[in-house]
Amino acid sequence: MMKKILFLFLILLVVAGSVFAGGKKEAAKEKAEFLVWNQAEPQSLDWHQIEGVPEHRIYYSLGEGLVTSDPDTAEPLPGVAESWDVDSSGLIYTFHLRKTTWSDGVPITAKTFVDSWLRVLNPETAAPYAWFPADVIAGAAAYNSGEAGPESVKIKAVDDSTFQVELVGAMPAIVSAFSHYAFAIVPTHAIAKNPDSWTQPENYVGNGPFVLESWEPQDKLTVVPNDKYWDKKTVKLDRIVYIPTDDDNVGFNMYLNGEVDWAPEVPLAQLESVKLMDDYVVAPYLGVYYYIFQVEKEPVNDVRVRKALSMGLDRDTLVKKVTGAGETAAYSMVPPMAGYKPTPGVKGTIDDAKKLLAEAGYPGGKGFPEIEILYNTSDRHLKIAEFVQEQWEKNLGIKCTLVNQEWKTYLDTRKQGEFMVARAGWIADYPDPSTFLEMFGSGKAMNGGKYSNKIFDENMEAAARMAPGPERFAKLRKAEDVFITEDHGVMPIYHYVSQSMIDTNKWGGWYPNAMDWHPTKFIYKK
Amino acid sequence: MSSEEIKKTALNEFDQPVKGVSLWNDAWKRLKKNKMAMFGMYVVVFYILISVFAPLLPIYSFKHQVIDHQFLPPSLTKNAGQLYYEKTERQFQALADKEKRPLSEEELSELESIKSRIDTETEIVDGKEVKIHHKRYLFGTDYLGRDLLARVIYGGQISIAIGFIGTVTSVFIGIVLGAIAGYVGGKVDYIIMRIVDVIYGLPYMMLVIIFMAIFGKNILNLFFALAIVSWLTVARVVRGQIMSLKNSEFVEAAKCSGAGTFRIIFKHLLPNTLGVIIVFSTLRIPTFIMLEAFLSFLGLGVSAPLASWGSLVGQAVDGMNLYPWRLFFPAATMTLFLFGMNFLGDGLRDAFDPQGKNRF
Amino acid sequence: MTRYIIRRFLGLFPTLLIIITISFFIIRIAPGGPFDSEKTLPKQIMENIEKKYHLDEPLLKQYARYMISVMRGDLGPSYRYKDQDVNYYIGKSLPNSLILGSIAMTISLVLGILAGMISALRQNTWVDYLVMSVAIIGITIPLFVIGPVLVYIFAMKLGWLPTSGWFTGRYGWVTLIMPVITLSADKFAYIARLSRASILEILRSDYIRTARAKGLKNSTILFKHVLKGGLLPVVSYLGPAFSAVLTGSIVVETVFRVPGLGKFFVQSALNRDYTLILGTVIVYSVILIIMNFVVDIIYAYLDPRISYK
Repeated sequence: MMKKILFLFLILLVVAGSVFAGGKKEAAKEKAEFLVWNQAEPQSLDWHQIEGVPEHRIYYSLGEGLVTSDPDTAEPLPGVAESWDVDSSGLIYTFHLRKTTWSDGVPITAKTFVDSWLRVLNPETAAPYAWFPADVIAGAAAYNSGEAGPESVKIKAVDDSTFQVELVGAMPAIVSAFSHYAFAIVPTHAIAKNPDSWTQPENYVGNGPFVLESWEPQDKLTVVPNDKYWDKKTVKLDRIVYIPTDDDNVGFNMYLNGEVDWAPEVPLAQLESVKLMDDYVVAPYLGVYYYIFQVEKEPVNDVRVRKALSMGLDRDTLVKKVTGAGETAAYSMVPPMAGYKPTPGVKGTIDDAKKLLAEAGYPGGKGFPEIEILYNTSDRHLKIAEFVQEQWEKNLGIKCTLVNQEWKTYLDTRKQGEFMVARAGWIADYPDPSTFLEMFGSGKAMNGGKYSNKIFDENMEAAARMAPGPERFAKLRKAEDVFITEDHGVMPIYHYVSQSMIDTNKWGGWYPNAMDWHPTKFIYKK
Repeated sequence: MSSEEIKKTALNEFDQPVKGVSLWNDAWKRLKKNKMAMFGMYVVVFYILISVFAPLLPIYSFKHQVIDHQFLPPSLTKNAGQLYYEKTERQFQALADKEKRPLSEEELSELESIKSRIDTETEIVDGKEVKIHHKRYLFGTDYLGRDLLARVIYGGQISIAIGFIGTVTSVFIGIVLGAIAGYVGGKVDYIIMRIVDVIYGLPYMMLVIIFMAIFGKNILNLFFALAIVSWLTVARVVRGQIMSLKNSEFVEAAKCSGAGTFRIIFKHLLPNTLGVIIVFSTLRIPTFIMLEAFLSFLGLGVSAPLASWGSLVGQAVDGMNLYPWRLFFPAATMTLFLFGMNFLGDGLRDAFDPQGKNRF
Repeated sequence: MTRYIIRRFLGLFPTLLIIITISFFIIRIAPGGPFDSEKTLPKQIMENIEKKYHLDEPLLKQYARYMISVMRGDLGPSYRYKDQDVNYYIGKSLPNSLILGSIAMTISLVLGILAGMISALRQNTWVDYLVMSVAIIGITIPLFVIGPVLVYIFAMKLGWLPTSGWFTGRYGWVTLIMPVITLSADKFAYIARLSRASILEILRSDYIRTARAKGLKNSTILFKHVLKGGLLPVVSYLGPAFSAVLTGSIVVETVFRVPGLGKFFVQSALNRDYTLILGTVIVYSVILIIMNFVVDIIYAYLDPRISYK
């Protein structure tokens, strides 16, 4: 019996061994190979099915829409569209496409864009990011919700090289938004041929600066230059290897040991030594870390309590000692950006805070119910919550408990509004103040804090229908004033920075920018 | 077990008081002779005393933050202020070296200000005015300037409790079900073991997540989450042992003398597998301690700022190159405790087995 | 015996069915769903997605749909990794876990039994204490500490090994060293401690004394009787341990970037990737049930006193 088992076991070993021995040949590192620690296994290479940052990094290599983005400024650069113009209403954009093809030689025309954009909006595609085109393109929402057919979507191929889009409103930075993967094109002809396996290396067809070479789940994904790319002379790298690992210490160790060339994140615990390294790159990043108040729950339903809590937190010490990577203490929801001066927010001394607390009926924190801070399990959120807890106890005499939950439970609790104070963060989808504010409109799906104010809603709606410019910003600013400075619906804590490890003496064409977007086509070895 | 011994055990039951005491006395005597076991016992008793009397010990609060004292190394000779000064100076110097410049005015003045604050700065802790920079951290401090010694001691309270709860439940449920399955055999064995298979097979993480969502977070639920899985392997181990012993002569003898099933299991079979059971139970303690850290991740563990050994160790792994003491002290404390438990377990086993003097 | 084996084999299916059924329904109770993210999707988009994956149907219908597809050998699409189905991901990752797990288990078994035997034969000498101390350290220090410490020493400080990876580039099988050591540490400890304890029990038993009285050679007694009987608790432990190791360890796979199945156990649960959760549950349960079955048969081989009627 034992022998048989052993024998079976050996067979198992041999079979297993031969399975993996096949795909494991790899050339030594001789050419310009750029290795990226990509934080997670990509969910998909079908751009209409993705929603995360790791996938976005791969999109920059394998895909390209109407426009791509400048590595330095994150402004739009010509992609498949050579140029574009907009009519006087600011609603109709016309893109003039260049003559180019997919990696299999099939030409890309205006019809490709129509087909692809209809695909992302098609309810049957069930694209998670379909809300983005649905929000901005006229008639798109109706098609996506199944209320109307594809003909209702206001996009059209005027001729082979002219593509026209009609927008819902005059959205600023719309051309920049078109560089997003939600507006990607996909090879419908290749998808028709292999509907279930077209994203596998042997079937893959793309139009980016690179094409897919291999994809081993959880191990690595490699891309090599695309011969058919219109701007292939710019592409200098011979190969890019994306290595997925969600553990930041593992990724960071790979960087230190020279096993990857770019680490898009730095573990909090390593900051002290990292700051002394030459290849540590920090840049302001359009994002905000904040605590939401559930404004219907005692005691944070009282605006005085909310303001007192906010004043009772020493943000300067927090960003200096707890997060420590150069984040800036935040009093406004919107980070400062070109042309927009954020609201001043709630500032005050500890004494002011105590006074407010006393007015609210809790002098010296007496009688104040124990409050809960909800956060999702992570080192960073834990450290910040522990700091806030101690601050409130020391400065205001308020006791609070910390409640951590794993990600999906936390999301659910937050969405249902089953909390008093909850940690949250937001990263800009596009560089505009509205991306930080619109989710707090009355009754919005994401508004778990149940904040509601008519003036805020009116100003946000007015801004959505206005052309870009100072007047629109004034409306947004008014909304933010009401939301943060008057009502204090959320308590901003700090504005993000992006942190990367990359040796810029060795690699060119990579720049820090406010969106943390890094198109790979420009990267080269010095 | 020899036949003489069976006779002896049987005799024991007839004149309990005298012999009963002497059995314990004998065991105690044998235990005292076993040096490693005594060492183990002292360690365990010491840990339990420390945990129980933690609030009375002259240690700092486990949650009081002195943000200036972040990441101070352990020291017997230097106080916190000196360490803080040295650390800041080192950081400034390193930064200046990187930028190839001497220390700036600003940095120098900050160092001066630290120096002057060491002997003067005070803070009110628990109603008493304390010279904050005169603290001494024997185990160093953590990322918010909290005393690691206090955190390790309070962490021990939880982790030791978790270890015992896990052991007790696994011993109760696991031994009873494992022994019944092994002894009775047949259908009963079949059903119990299939139940074990099913519980093993269920996605434990999802169970915990759901359990937490329904019943919320508290220490009892944590114990329960531990208990559902802790007994499974014990049951299988015990069952295997019982199956091997149940056809032995001494069981036959006991059966002939009219002993009932439960009596046979608990009086005759289990004592003969006690060694394996004790070893297996002590081996499982670290698993429970780590399981608690995992349950903390899902939100079921203890609430921050309280930390268990498991979470202290878990947090310290990141950055162990920079702050090795954060890993070393909790890990060493835990290892010592488990050493104690293991050797005590072995010693107890030997002490209660009079035939244990055999050498091969 | 044959009847017992047949009965046990047939028992595999109802047990599996119970596990799948319970799992299928309970995982749906958990808060959050596969498509929830920081950005709450508009209702319309969510409905589109749920429709695509039939998540809008009544649960019983979904269950029937799932069971039919499982019987056909199709574990369904993954809700998280959308380009391939669950079969593909399990097929890709399980072999890696099997390789790593079987090497680690073989090493721990051989070394563990050896250590346990030496320890038992030299009970309460310094050899015993030394071996047992090593074993206790092996079990006390959690894997998530051993792994990073090894990486720190051998990759970061000495530069002998890559930090992580799986047969990467010029390193080849060398990448196996650290994961195997890490994965073996606590199994070795368990096996050593268990075999020591049970060998001690056997040494005290009647039949060994009888054998010795008969004047049998020590080595004969040792290998024919002591070791065979002494392995019993080790084998009991091996059933669950083997299945856990063969299906991968999240810690080792994360620290060393092994593209194995272990990560999916945790990630699928965190992502609420229902089909992938069930896929891992099925793989694990099948291996576990078979292992426990094999263990029960090995019992009879190791100890003639055990019989199944």
